[in-house]
Amino acid sequence: MPTGEIYFKHSLRVNGYLCKGCTACMRACPTAAIRIRGGKAVISENKCVDCGECIKACPHKAIYIKQDDFGLIENYRYRVCLVPTTFIGQFDTKYKTKAIYSCLIKLGFTHIYEVEHEVARMKELYNMYMEDHPEIRTFISPYCPAVTRLIQVRFPSLVDNVIHVRAPLELASRVITKKLIDEGARPESIGVFYVTPCAAKIAAVKYPVSGKDTCVAGVINMDFLYNKVMLMLHDSDKNAQPINHTLNSSDVLWSLAGGEAPHFKGAHYAVDGLQNVLNFLERLEDEAIDAPGLVEMRICDQGCVGGVLTTQDRFVARKRLEYRARLFERLERSKIRETPPEDHTLTEQWIKDMEISEIKPRSIYKLNDNYAEAFRMAERLKKIEKALPGVNCSACGAPSCAALAEDIVRGEAKMDTCIFINPHSPASSDAIKSIWGERIKDTDKDQ
Amino acid sequence: MHYTFKIERGNFTDAGQASSSVKRTLKQLGVDPVNIKRTVVALFEAEINAVAHAYGGTIDVDIDSEKIVMVVADEGPGIPNIELAMQEGWSTASAKVREMGYGAGMGLPNIKKNTDELKIDTKVGVGTTVTMTVNLA
Repeated sequence: MPTGEIYFKHSLRVNGYLCKGCTACMRACPTAAIRIRGGKAVISENKCVDCGECIKACPHKAIYIKQDDFGLIENYRYRVCLVPTTFIGQFDTKYKTKAIYSCLIKLGFTHIYEVEHEVARMKELYNMYMEDHPEIRTFISPYCPAVTRLIQVRFPSLVDNVIHVRAPLELASRVITKKLIDEGARPESIGVFYVTPCAAKIAAVKYPVSGKDTCVAGVINMDFLYNKVMLMLHDSDKNAQPINHTLNSSDVLWSLAGGEAPHFKGAHYAVDGLQNVLNFLERLEDEAIDAPGLVEMRICDQGCVGGVLTTQDRFVARKRLEYRARLFERLERSKIRETPPEDHTLTEQWIKDMEISEIKPRSIYKLNDNYAEAFRMAERLKKIEKALPGVNCSACGAPSCAALAEDIVRGEAKMDTCIFINPHSPASSDAIKSIWGERIKDTDKDQ
Repeated sequence: MHYTFKIERGNFTDAGQASSSVKRTLKQLGVDPVNIKRTVVALFEAEINAVAHAYGGTIDVDIDSEKIVMVVADEGPGIPNIELAMQEGWSTASAKVREMGYGAGMGLPNIKKNTDELKIDTKVGVGTTVTMTVNLA
């Protein structure tokens, strides 16, 4: 369906056997990236922002996130499990963090490192960027990769408001790799595996906006690992080896909605949930909202605990993380848990590695590169929109009448695909069959 | 391409539909984001002015290959002293309007800053017509 250069790639896949073409995903997509073709959902790569709304909407579990083969870890002598705290938020608080981590070791990892160890360094990187750009009034956190993509395709005028710094997991993988090398490991023997709560973080690793190399060897879906660990926790192995973890209590909550913005100067906003993010960006673009300082944004409601690959109710997971943060704090205060002062210095190399030189605007609205042609198309679009019924029935395989109108002016669909325009024309019935496949009965032949 | 919108007195909540709709078209045309922003900001300010001060009015937007012309015409009290109104921080907005976060006296100066041409025809007791042009080339 998409023509021309493909500049976004994704790990979202549609399972053709499970997909019923029910249109649920298509209607949920914030960028109108999905069409029904041949009775199945088809995702347009350049429009998709990896937000995962389609997966959440699918009643048939037909959309999935391709992950790396878990066996890949066997290729490395040093097998690092890079976990966001969202992962421990998945487990009931009756399980100790070290019990959860000991299961990861039993599964084959040699080291465990939490992404949130990098909060202090990330703060410094954000602050450096903000100080370097006094001309920008509102900064948008680059934390949620789906937000950055959404801005590229729907709000291209805001690309320069995004702090041009890569995802924290890139820094964390570099820090732990350096630590292991300093301890004598050969670089090629180290494999860092990130446990992801969503599709957007995978895309940020595999197909980064920065276009730079990743330091992550593979990505593992959080639900997959949760199931494995849960099985072992139920076995209640009393001989589990405790693993040292020295995470700072205040950093545990970083991935939650509102976990990031309060760390910064200025009138900060914490916006979470797809619809809230869309509304806020729309108003910000119109300058109807004046937000000097840092705006934190998470596509998922409640932040990463709402990610599509998480397994628990997001409100429950949030509470559990808050509980663990308080626990860490108590342990720190009573000095029961040893927290050696962490080194938070940033090397020149890391600063360079974490920089994004440019976030390109990739407008999905632009009808043509040639203004005169785009103008003709926009005029036609307006007329077609008026002619269509406006009921958004999706029988044409597009999410709305407006989307169909756009497909028509782009030459990707015909007026006849609308069943309201001419329900009895052969062209219309052929078009409907090509969209909906065999389920459409040829009533004429039965008569 | 021509667009018409209605303005309702005191309806701040629905203000912004005109600029949103124009913004969508400008994005489809592939207009430079800077010019989109200027257009949208100017139009929104002018609409808010009419919502806050006038008794009602209309917005007419014309887009062609060279420019965007926006005419916001209202029936209202008119502007007694344009020179004062053009000064940053000068405002005659009511306390109620200010409570809603508007009325900072930045409306007209902000429109001037964001447009290439600005014409204000006003008659006290009759109404005001603000004509704004953003050049695309």
